Amino acid sequence: MSDIQEGTINALKKELTATSTSAQLDSLTSKYFSRKGILNDLFSKINSVPADEKQAYGKEMNTLKAQAETLIEKKRVELSKKPRKGTWVDPTLPGDTLPKGSLHFVTYAIEEITRIFERIGFSRASYPEVEWEYFSFESLNMPPGHPARDDFETFFIDEKSHSKYGRMVLTPHTSSGQIREMMRVGVPIAMINIAKTYRPNWDVSHTPMFHQFEGLCIDRGINITNLKGTIEYFMTSFFGEGRKMRLRPYHFQFTEPSFEVDVSCDICDGSGMIDSKTKCRLCKSGWLELGGAGMVHPNVLKEGGIDSEEYSGWAFGFGIERVFMMKQGLKLDDLRTVYENDVRFLEQF
Amino acid sequence: MTRGYGNEKRNMNIKITYNWLLEYLQTDADPYEIQKYLSLCGPSIERVEKMDDDFVFDIEITSNRVDSASVFGIAQECAAILPTFGKKAILKINTLERYTFKEIHGDSARHDVELEIKILGDNLASRVSAVVLSNIEIGESPQFMKDRLAMCDTKSINNVVDISNYLMLALGQPNHTFDYDKIKDHTLSIRESKKGEKVKTLDEKVIELPGGDIVIEDGSGNLTDLAGIMGGYDSMVTSATKNVLLLLETYDPAKIRKTSMTTGQRTVAATYFEKGLDPQRIEPTLAYGVELLEKYCGGQIVSRVIDVYPKPVKPKIISVSVMNIETLIGAPIETATMREILENLGFSVTVHGGEIEVTVPSYRAADIEVWQDIAEEVARMYGYHNLKSIVQSTRSQNRNTAQENYDKYELRAKYFLKHAGLCEVYNYSMISKKMIEKFGFDPKDHLKLQNTISQNIEYMRIHLVPSLVENILQNKGKRDDLSFFEIAKTYKKRVGDLPEETRYLAIATNQSYSWLKGVLAGLFKELNIDEYSFGEVEKNDDICAFELDFEELIESARPIPSYRPINPYSVVKLDLTYTTDPKHLFENIKSKAFKVSPLLLSVDVISTFKNKVTLRFEFAAKDRNITEKEAKEELEKIKELV
Repeated sequence: MSDIQEGTINALKKELTATSTSAQLDSLTSKYFSRKGILNDLFSKINSVPADEKQAYGKEMNTLKAQAETLIEKKRVELSKKPRKGTWVDPTLPGDTLPKGSLHFVTYAIEEITRIFERIGFSRASYPEVEWEYFSFESLNMPPGHPARDDFETFFIDEKSHSKYGRMVLTPHTSSGQIREMMRVGVPIAMINIAKTYRPNWDVSHTPMFHQFEGLCIDRGINITNLKGTIEYFMTSFFGEGRKMRLRPYHFQFTEPSFEVDVSCDICDGSGMIDSKTKCRLCKSGWLELGGAGMVHPNVLKEGGIDSEEYSGWAFGFGIERVFMMKQGLKLDDLRTVYENDVRFLEQF
Repeated sequence: MTRGYGNEKRNMNIKITYNWLLEYLQTDADPYEIQKYLSLCGPSIERVEKMDDDFVFDIEITSNRVDSASVFGIAQECAAILPTFGKKAILKINTLERYTFKEIHGDSARHDVELEIKILGDNLASRVSAVVLSNIEIGESPQFMKDRLAMCDTKSINNVVDISNYLMLALGQPNHTFDYDKIKDHTLSIRESKKGEKVKTLDEKVIELPGGDIVIEDGSGNLTDLAGIMGGYDSMVTSATKNVLLLLETYDPAKIRKTSMTTGQRTVAATYFEKGLDPQRIEPTLAYGVELLEKYCGGQIVSRVIDVYPKPVKPKIISVSVMNIETLIGAPIETATMREILENLGFSVTVHGGEIEVTVPSYRAADIEVWQDIAEEVARMYGYHNLKSIVQSTRSQNRNTAQENYDKYELRAKYFLKHAGLCEVYNYSMISKKMIEKFGFDPKDHLKLQNTISQNIEYMRIHLVPSLVENILQNKGKRDDLSFFEIAKTYKKRVGDLPEETRYLAIATNQSYSWLKGVLAGLFKELNIDEYSFGEVEKNDDICAFELDFEELIESARPIPSYRPINPYSVVKLDLTYTTDPKHLFENIKSKAFKVSPLLLSVDVISTFKNKVTLRFEFAAKDRNITEKEAKEELEKIKELV
């Protein structure tokens, strides 16, 4: 490297070190590269160079130009990364606040449950909440006089009775959709019915309105192992791996056999005890009741116009609020909170 | 929260103890094994608690299995279930066979005391039996009985009353002891009550009866018992009692339930009777009761055993194909295994090739009706835990596409509104008359609940806005900005038919009208709805609220916007500020501007300040570049409008 080359590069380096703004860099660039700049000036000196050194001098100048360009470009990149002076921002400050709304937890639960059942070919249905007694009871093997039909278990509507279907009620369970689906679809059926349901209790552990989801599957050869398989699939999808399930014998009018489905408790890991002395507050001896299920009663199939000799089916009905709270390990001291719509409750979801 | 399917509210819980159970059952199973195995195949033992040298089981009994709601009933279930888990379990005594009228009705007793019992009315009671014992010495019960009753949440009163309670827990048949000498004319008539009749019960409450309740009157016409629910005060056993009448009955379950619910007297006896009891169990219970009264109260039988049993139950026989059972369960089960299972549960079985004929024990007669009931017995004993889990393959079916389409957009709308800063609320579908009237609606247009439990939930909503405005008011002060939305069904009354259930969207906010309008415009854009107009908006108490038929809205929704080719030609943007007044509404200016200017591409409000509004107009042609001069000429035409 010649003295000229070295001297020029060193001078440039020195000046670059003193450069802290892009405006300064711009003027430095033009100092070296403009028409009357340092580099052109050096190039023009080629005329005074002896003929045999001209080629080497030209080469040297080109290298010098390339070096200078690289240095300036490097500095430009460096400067562009630096915030401009006077606009320095504390990077630890929070970003701009976006509007923060919320959805009710029942919405999230319904969304997830619908997706889980869609994956195994179930289609969501929606049926009347204000129903005739026939669909809510009679067709479900609950004849007149059955205790579930009396005034203490069901809301009745003050309207004229239907000549065939009886009184108007607020349906106390999603099961009223069973016969409606049989009438709409016939066989086979793979339905998930999610709806509001109503019962006349209003205290810390009951609200007069709540939500249920009902699965109904009817086809040839449907048996208990299918019910067990489907509920187990739902349970693993919804609660995650590692929870155990059991079916217990139970009784419902519209299924035979009937089961109660239990899931092992997440809080005490199915032991029923938090530690050696404290019992788990959430569960019963390590188990939480998920809800009811069973094989569709032949009388119900008959009402839905389905031949119970040829077809069989299973059904289940679980409470939405309940499964959501079980999933979250949530125990509300007062269930009424769910429908009181206090913004401090709502915005948490 | 234990409320799910069907009618489980009618279920009951009983408490019994392990040592008591061992009186009937010989077993090597410990209390926790019993809990685990019974819960899988029979009644659910919800909790086991160690108390002194004993263990207390808290057991849920389903409404169809009241026959098992006793120490003996649980012993029967144990004897059938525990051996399937390799545990020894044998019934030591079969109380149902061992105790009979004949046995207590020995020749040595004097049977000279008068007693008459009548049932006035059909189907009030399927059976009534009674006997009188004299020389009763009222005192304390033996310690073991007091301890057991205490562990089972029953207060000890005196030996006679305790025996009555002990008997119920042991065998599941409620019963009543009267002071025989307080029964006028020694006559008891079971009849229906008249409306307004009064009865004073053991708890010293005077209950006015709704009418049609089962009551027992004595010879003087005095009501001496609110049948199946609670004994009468006037005939109760006291420390002075010498002669006791032990009465056992099985009543019409529906009547008992109705009386118990309407009078609010939810006694343990009522929870038994309302499920329908087996009249056959009266005999062993009465005989066992006599044994206890003799042993622990010094009583002696002084009357004949009265037994009014007009229609004795006949055994029920059900035939079922073995293959049907296997198909429903989904597992191969040997006929011999089925037979063994059913016999262990007290059924008698005859096998005819592929068919089995099952005779149902009387205590299961109400529960077992169709072959599927038999299949259930086989399945639960075989063990649901032993069955495989197989998700069925679903054949193509008639999907509810309209519903699926709706769901898709509803969820999209909900998430949009959430991200716009609104909180979703869920209100009750029912509202109060006061609320309806406050918003200027007519209660007559709403469906009314016949048996509401609160005036706050008496009418079915036909609008959502009142509930949402209420939500804002109730949250006042908790946050500065309150913006709520709800998507829910409304229930429009129809003559002679179910209401029209239509989903509505409602929004309420304490923010500005323009904010609300902006949210809605954004929502329509999200749902790719291009054409819409705004109607009226509710505004009071600084709250803006709005609702629309959401199902109708969804009909215009599209999954993605319609594509417009990009205009490659120049766009000229020009601003215009004007003064707003009622004669110059933005909407009018906008629509007229498009009419007068063929080159106008879009109009946007870019700022407002007091009554000054600045608009930005964009001009372009579809086939060429326009000049700024051309655009300015267009703007001149528009200027004349403002």
